[in-house]
Order: sequence, then structure tokens, then C-alpha cells
Amino acid sequence: MTVLGGIGFTAPWLLLGLLALPILWLILRAVPPAPIRRLFPAVSLLLGLKDDESVSDRTPWWLLLLRMLAVAAVIIGLAGPVLNPSRDAPGSGPLLIVMDASWAGAPTWPDRIELAEAQLTEAGRAGRPVAVLRLSAPEPLLFQSAEAWRSRLPGLSPAPWQPGPPQIDAALDAIAGTDSGFDSYWVSDGLDYAGRDRLLAALQDRGALKVYQTGADVFGLLPASYDDGAIQLSALRAAAGPDREVTLLADGTDPAGTARVLASATARFAAGETRAETALSLPAELRARITGFSVQAQRSAGAVTLADDALRRREVALIAGREDREGLELLAPLHYLEQALVPTADLLHGGLLEVLPANPDVVVLADIATLSPAEEAALTEWIDEGGLLLRFAGPRLAASDVSRSDEHPLMPVRLRSGGRSVGGAMSWGEPKTLAPFPETSPFHGLQIPPDVRVTAQVMAQPDPTLADRVIAALADGTPLVTRKPLGQGQVVLFHVTANAEWSSLPLSGLFVEMLERLAVSSMAKAPDAADLEGTTWTPVQVLDAYGRLSEAETLPGVDGADLASAPVGPDLRPGLYRSGDRRLARNVLGADATLEPAAWPADVPVEGLTVRPELPLGGMLLSLALAMLVADVIAALALSGRLGPGRATAALLAAMMLTHPTEAQQASETDFALSATGEMVLAHVLTGDKEVDDVARAGLRGLSDTLFFRTSVEPADPIGVDLERDELAFFPLLYWPITPVQPTPSAEAYARLNAYLRSGGMILFDTRDADIARFGAASPNGRKLQDLAAPLDIPPLEPVPGDHVLTRTFYLLQDFPGRHTGRDVWVEAAPPDAEQIEGMPFRNLNDGVTPVVIGGNDWAAAWAVDRNGNPLVPVGRGFAGERQRELAYRFGVNLVMHVLTGNYKSDQVHVPALLDRLGQ
Amino acid sequence: MTTPPALRQRAEAEAARIPPLLARAEHLAGTVLLGEHGRRRAGLGDDFWQYRPAQVGDSRRLIDHRRSAKGDQQFVREREWQIAQSVMLWVDQGASMRFASEAALPDKIDRARLLALSIAILLVRGGERVGLTGTTLPPRRGNAQVLRLAEMFSHDAEADYAPPEHRAMVPHARALFLSDFLGDMAEVERALTKAADRGVRGVLLQVLDPSEEAFPYQGRTIFQSVGGTLRHETLKAGELRDRYLARLADRKAALQSLCQVTGWRLGLHHTGDSAQSALLWLYRALDGGVR
Repeated sequence: MTVLGGIGFTAPWLLLGLLALPILWLILRAVPPAPIRRLFPAVSLLLGLKDDESVSDRTPWWLLLLRMLAVAAVIIGLAGPVLNPSRDAPGSGPLLIVMDASWAGAPTWPDRIELAEAQLTEAGRAGRPVAVLRLSAPEPLLFQSAEAWRSRLPGLSPAPWQPGPPQIDAALDAIAGTDSGFDSYWVSDGLDYAGRDRLLAALQDRGALKVYQTGADVFGLLPASYDDGAIQLSALRAAAGPDREVTLLADGTDPAGTARVLASATARFAAGETRAETALSLPAELRARITGFSVQAQRSAGAVTLADDALRRREVALIAGREDREGLELLAPLHYLEQALVPTADLLHGGLLEVLPANPDVVVLADIATLSPAEEAALTEWIDEGGLLLRFAGPRLAASDVSRSDEHPLMPVRLRSGGRSVGGAMSWGEPKTLAPFPETSPFHGLQIPPDVRVTAQVMAQPDPTLADRVIAALADGTPLVTRKPLGQGQVVLFHVTANAEWSSLPLSGLFVEMLERLAVSSMAKAPDAADLEGTTWTPVQVLDAYGRLSEAETLPGVDGADLASAPVGPDLRPGLYRSGDRRLARNVLGADATLEPAAWPADVPVEGLTVRPELPLGGMLLSLALAMLVADVIAALALSGRLGPGRATAALLAAMMLTHPTEAQQASETDFALSATGEMVLAHVLTGDKEVDDVARAGLRGLSDTLFFRTSVEPADPIGVDLERDELAFFPLLYWPITPVQPTPSAEAYARLNAYLRSGGMILFDTRDADIARFGAASPNGRKLQDLAAPLDIPPLEPVPGDHVLTRTFYLLQDFPGRHTGRDVWVEAAPPDAEQIEGMPFRNLNDGVTPVVIGGNDWAAAWAVDRNGNPLVPVGRGFAGERQRELAYRFGVNLVMHVLTGNYKSDQVHVPALLDRLGQ
Repeated sequence: MTTPPALRQRAEAEAARIPPLLARAEHLAGTVLLGEHGRRRAGLGDDFWQYRPAQVGDSRRLIDHRRSAKGDQQFVREREWQIAQSVMLWVDQGASMRFASEAALPDKIDRARLLALSIAILLVRGGERVGLTGTTLPPRRGNAQVLRLAEMFSHDAEADYAPPEHRAMVPHARALFLSDFLGDMAEVERALTKAADRGVRGVLLQVLDPSEEAFPYQGRTIFQSVGGTLRHETLKAGELRDRYLARLADRKAALQSLCQVTGWRLGLHHTGDSAQSALLWLYRALDGGVR
């Protein structure tokens, strides 16, 4: 490929054709446009008239220029111009494309794939075998044809972690596993990580290395913490660039459960700083719904931090027995609990029945023995729904008979009377220490301080279930903490007091940790490995590299110590983990993480990510030449007088007619809705037969006029409805004349019709053939009606019974003539249990409106009037015919009244008046 | 298009809109054949003119007894003197007339024939005698003559520009020439002077296509006469326009002066205009004549 001025040519020799242009100019210039032959009788007057200028037989210069440009465009287009031609000397030998493929590159992942694709294309052109190595998920190198890799490219995705030592080792092994040398392209995500230099050296050993790295900054978000009544957020960036603001979003669910952004805050990176902090103060209710935070417009796992229990402040109701002494704060039953819970929980004080409606997470009963039946019922219900009842023993509980002989529902165990005290002045033995927590205990792994002593406790009765319920015991095996599940919640009993009277447990740090493990309080700060020792956490939701949460499904559980300290990787994916009632988020970035930009040695060439793809210009130039030739044709026609002004205008108009039909259609839909809903409108179905449609429209107009004059229904002009296109919900009544040739509606139209019928609409089917056929399939129209109505949701039908509400909604009618006087008019059948009550003229018929009325009396023709209100179609003969038309109008009025008022006239309230009218 | 029945039908349609035309006869002598044209003086005729007292010399047969019985004096009933006029038509049948610049416009010859036959129908209805100049169809009365005229009008001539037919013109008759008058002016001059010599007066109606009046042509063009005998090539038709229009104006002026000399009237009709207005003008021109 020859490159001239930034544009490459595949066939540069064709450009020599440009030299021929001046010759072409001379030739074209000498040839005037061909003459037109015209018949012209007045040529006798023209004879002898000479042309003024002798120059005008040459083509005008601008037309020549146009033609020259067109020819030049053809020549250049055929020479195969290519914009952005690749100037790299194509390499040879195998090629390795190394991609970091970590979360840091996720926002620009499509660019990276595009770059890799461009390199694969180039390698494919050079016939080089290619291997692709993802450092975040290394696999043994597989040198394949570029085409094979191109087909696999869309399947590659970044991983939500940085390449760690295991991955680096695996990658080095993979490189070592190949015996040949190769060139390498390294698509870096721009972040530094341990082991990168080793990999760099290994790659440089094998051949030339080139690095592609974007200039875009990488942003990260540190785990959120709750401090000073606000959520503290810290954002990181890799490069200490200029002053910049980022918006941090708090994602969560609204009360309806829809994910949305609950709040946002801006954090400002000062120039030269890589860390920006902000605080987000939210009400507790809102805070509890937050699922995570993210950096706006940075879709990567590092820019997302998930919220867990650390942000959640539990509501704890503290309820103590009667305070019999004032001012003894240190002896108050709740003092130590309050001290332990205040930093991490919202405390509720008050009576039990007042507190329970606030739906606290935990209710603490400190030395309360008996509860009123109402309190007990409310508390049981609350526990059933997942509440945690935490009880502490004390003198009153020890003295009461609660759970003495039978296990009380709100106590985990039966108690012996009195309890015991050890190590006191009047007793034998030493104060007891705690036994190590068994593995089944939620406290497993907690360190027991040696100075915790228990001097008094209540004693559990030995029961078959006791062993299962003990979660902490004294060194001599007597239960210290017992627990039983109740409904979805649980009841926990500390067999000691909540103050330091019976033991020194409330004075120790263990007490706080035990409360944490019981999920009474939430962790104030991220737990370390020691805190999580011995626990197993199952992943609930995991993050992908783009920061999206997905269900963890079958991922295995993780050891608590690993969860706290191990780096994220394939075995420990960032996401939400659950153990028991506690939820812990493992984010990509830990609390003390930093982002370091990747720095490359001076001998490694680094390029940006942007690919400037080769752009062949030939097609464009040829199109341009074609357009210019068209312009030349028009200009030549105009010049030779063959292009009349009329034709030019027509062409211009045709071009301008190419407007957007969709807008017009939308506008027409809106217009249709407005005209249909502005006033009450009767509608008829367009059958496609113009005559029938016109009569139907005129008929509905006549009926509308009649309604207007005689009733309080004042319809606007009727509308023809296209079943395929128009919304039906606006119309109370659809008149559907049947023609044998009308098209069957589509499935969508039937769906709309059925919805229309179900929602209270009425269709008046008119086969218009009552003069020649009875109701049924005897006539073409009847058969067509059967076809049309088969997919419709039509209830069982019957001929209009004499007491149908249609006979008396406005006028009292016996039959329903139109242009014909057929007696077969069918409506929805009365329910089978409708029976006539003795003395009542009417049965109490079904509610609602019959969804269809079917007949063949050609009502529209009888109703039809022209614009001046004169009848369009003759009905009957003489006065009898006028009477028949009048009855047809009355039927129409009754029908519309029936649609609009339902079974109002069927209501028996009107019976006396109707009886009076009927003379019965 | 030019079949006689079709032409006649359209001409009847045109003529139906105009009241019977009464051409004015200026001359008493010569054409003494009686017709229904009252001369506003007593003479031979059918219509009552006036009663006058019987004079010496009146034949007794002439005394109107009904009027005379009302008094002592005797009256003679006089009738209005009525004559019929001969009108001779000439329609240019040359090839130059078979031209229309647009499909929507009629050919010039079509329009000329229509006008000629329409006026012929009106004249016949008014009792005039109508015929063609030349020897082919001398003036006669009656509807059959209209048929014959229509028959004659359906023959096209081969020549590009047909010279006016001026033979066998009835002296003191009236004449109507319809043509585009784009041919040789000498022929027209000869015909009109000859007519004037015989006391024939009449009307020239020049029928032109709108394009002949506007000359809306541009660019390199070869203009050809319809018969193909004349051609003119130009490189810039637009440049010729002004000079062409000047020549056309000269031609019209020449016709006008010729008419003034010979006592004829000159009319101009474009095929783009309505035929009705042209017929109306012809009606006036033949009826009013040169008063």
C-alpha cells in the first residue's frame, strides 16, 4: 500500500489517470450540448435571426468543472484510497495478547475488545498464530489462528479482582510452558499490582513487548462506614490528577422493592490528591434500605462497595422490671446493656406494648418474670415473625414460678426454683468460669477472658431438649446461655443478670462480642480474622467486574478468617456473605486499599487504546462521483432548456415529501383519542365496503341526532373504527355491519376486542339481511358473522326475552325493527336461576350489560340521515314506514341507554312506576 | 378528432350558448334574396312593420280591412323589408395550424375549425347563408349546409402555410378568415384587397398557440415547421426571444393596417383561452360589423 499524505492507496498507478483530465477538459469544452428539435410553426418569423455570441457553443466552465471533479472522484475512488492506513511493519511469528482483564478495565472493556480485535485482524492478515492470556484468569497458552480467537473474543469478560500472586504464578507457568519466542501486546488496565514486573521480564525475554494503556483514570470506592451519625464514604483514584469531582450514589430498594438511587453525594479530589471523602447523612429508615454505593458513571466492581450489617443499626427495645430504687445507675439492670449497645444500635425505651408496634429487631427483658396475657400474646406473635427475645435472669425470675413445672413458651428451658450461688460468703466452691464454646454455638471462636466469673445463676431443669439448647455453659457444665427457636424468631436466656450483680460477664468485652454474635448489636467496624474465626459464610450475591450484583447460586461457602483477610480472587468473590442472621459484605477494595497507577519501564512502548480503524474511501468517492454526475445531468438539462420549471418544482416537491410518517401517525393517534374522548361518541367498525361504511356512519349520525334531541345523551359525530389500528376503549357502543367480504381481524385486534367486551363494551352485530334470511348460517352474512365472532369472548345467547331490560330502558318496546322487521334479535342469555316472582312483571335478570346484540334488521339504514337530517334510505311504505323508522330510532335510543345505564331500569325500584305506565 | 360528426357535435355545443346571431346586412342591392333580417324599413317580408294611410296608386288588395274598419280612413299594412346575408368562411387548413405546444392545449386548427363551425351554426340558425370561399361550397341555407361545412373542415392540407382562398367570393357578402397568418403576408394582402374590391367585408381571426406568443425556449434548439419545410437552428434560444417577439408584433401590426385599409376587423385568439370568448367576439364582429 502506498501512502500519500496520510491516505493509502491500494492501486496507486490508477492515479496517473488524473493526468488525462486536462485533455478531457479540452475535449468536453469544445463539444456543445446537443440541440433539441422542436416543432414551431412560427419558425417563419425566426428565419434570418442570428445568434449574438459565437462563444456560447461551448460548455460553461462550472459544468466542465463539475464533470472534471466527477471523473477525478471516479479515478481516485478506483485507486482504492484508505484513511488511517496501518503503517506498522507487520511482524512475524507468534503473537501473545496479554490482558489484565481486571475490574479496573471494565468501564472501557469494549474498547479493549475492539483493540484486541484490530490486533487479531492484523495478525490474521499476516498469518501469525495468536494466543490470548487473561491475567485475572490465566490459562495455558494456546496459539491458534487469529480467526479462531476472534470468534472467542466476545466471550471474554473481565474478572472482579486484580491478578494476585496465584494468577501471576499461573501466568508465568503458562509462559514458561511454551518453547518458542513470541511478540507480546499487553493490554493493561492501568493499575499496578504485585508481580507485574516479573511478568514484564518474562514477556520481554520472549520477544518484543508493546503496552496498550488507556489514559482514563481508574476510580475506586472504599467500604462505607457509619460514624458521627453519617455514612462516611471515601473514593480513590489511581492518578493524582487535577481537581475533580465525582458523584457517589447510594443504591437501594424503595419500599416497593424496586432498585433505585436513594441518595447521592459529591466527593472532591483536590488537585494532586488520590483520595476524596464525603459524608452522607440519611434517616435510619433510608439507611436501612441501602444495598451499596457506587461511583457514578464508573461501572466497575472497584467503584462499588456493598453495604452490610455495619451500616445497619438495629432497633433494640430494653425493658426492665420495676425500678425499686432510684439513682443506683451502676446497679440498674440495663446499664451495661445500654453501654454495650449505644454505639451500634438504636435503643427504644418504654412499655412492652408501646414498643412492639415499632417492630424492633430485638426485645431485651431484664429480669422480668411474668407478662400480662396481652403482652405475652403480642410478644409471641412478634417472635413468630422473626423477633429475637433476649431475656436475662435475676432475682425476680429466680423467685417466680415461671417455667417451673412446664416450659413457658417464652422461655428456652424449664428452671429450677431458686437458682444457685457459688463462691459466695455462705457457699462452697469458687466462682465459676466459662467453658470454651462448642462448635455448634454461635459464640464459637470467641476468646474467653480469664477473669469472667459467675457467682450466681438460675439453673435449668435437665430435659431431653436441654443439651440442644445450651449455647454457652460454665466450666462445670451448667448452662449459662440457652436458646430455643420460636416460629421464625428465637428466645435466648442469659442465666445471669444483665448487671454485674451475679457475674462479671457484663463487665467484659466478651459480653459485647456475644451480643454481636447474637445479632443483637451490629459490628461497629469491619471484623478482622480473629473475630470471624470458626465461622462459615455462604455467598448470597456476588459482584461481577462491572459492579453488577448477581445471585451466588452454587458458589461454596467461605471460611470466616479468609473472608476477613484473604484477597479477593476466584475463590473469594466480592459480594455479600451470610452467616446465620449476620450479613457481611466483601468488597473489592478493603478499608485501607490504595490504587497505584501502573508504571512501565522506558524501553517498553506504551500506546493508547484508541484504534483508528482503516477506513476505505473508495466507495464514498464513487458515490460522490455518482452524485456529481446526477447533478451534471440536471445542470445539463437545465442548460439546454429541457428542464422546465414545472419539472424542477415537481422534483423538489418529491424530495420534500419525504417527511417522517411516524410523527404524523402519532399525531393522528392523539387526534383520534382526543376526538373519541372529548365527548361521548358512537362508533362503527370499518368493513372496507365504502357503501356499507357510509350508511353505518350516516346511521349513527341519525341516531346521535335523535339521542341529542330526545335524551340527555348528547353524542358527537360518529367515528369509523379500524379494528387493526384504533383503540376501542373510548366507545360505549360499536356498530358492526357484516359484509361477506370484509377482512377477518388479526389476533391482536381480537385480543383488543375481547378486552373491550370484558370491560363493559357492547358490539351490535348487524347482518343486514333479515329480509331474506333468518338468524343463523343460512346467508353469506350469517356465515361471515359466525367466522368473525368465533374468536370473540361471547357468552351464551338467547332471543331478547319479553322482559329484557332493552325493552324498557327509555321507550317501552316489543320488537326492534330496522329497515327490516326481523324478530330475531339475540342478547346474552339470562342466568338459568332467574325466575319470575309471583306478582312481579319482570324477572330479576343478570347484572351488567349484554356484551353483544346480534340481529339482521339493518338498523343503520333505518337511522341513516344526510347532513341536512333527511332520511337517506326508504323504510317501508307511507306512514307505516315512518312508524317503522320511528321504532328503529327508539330501539337505538334504548340500546344506547342500556349501554350507558346498565340494568338501571331492571332495578325493581322502578316497578311501581312501570306498572303504572303499563296499566297493570 | 376531426371526424365530421364529432366536430359538429362540439360545435353545436358551443353554438347552443349564444342567441341566434343576426348579421347585419349593409347593402341592399346585389343580394336581394329574402331572409329574416328586418331592414327597419318597409319592404318585402313577412313581419308586420306599420300601417299607413292608403294612397293613390295602392292596389285595393293591399288595404287592410280590419284596421280600416275602425275608422273612416283606409289603411295599408306594410311589412318590414327583410334580406338574407351571405357569409363566407375560410379556415387555414395548413400544416402550421396542426400544432399545440402542450398536451393540454388543443391544436390551433382544431380551435379554428370549432370557431368557424360554431359561427356557421349561429348564422344558419339566424337564417343566413353560409359557405366557404372558393368554389367547393357556395353559400346556402339550412342545417344540411352545416353538415357539409363540417365535412369540408375535416380535410387537412399538405402545405406548411396555406394561402387564403379568395376565389369566387360573392360580391358584397361578408367573410371570415381564420388562420395563424404566419405564412406569406403577400397572399393575405392579395386576398383582402381582392375582397375589398368586391365589396366583401369581414373579419380576420388570428389563432395562435400560447408558446408562439411567449417563446419560452432556452438553449440550443432546432426549430422546425410542422410540415418540415422550414428549419432554424439557434444555440441560445433565449437570446432570440426579444427579436422574435418584435417580429410577431410587426406581423400583427401589418395585419392591422391591412384591415384598416380594407375595412375588415382583426381579432386575436390564443388556444389557451376559452373558445366561448372568441365566439362571442366573432358574434359581435359579424353582427355589429363596421357600423
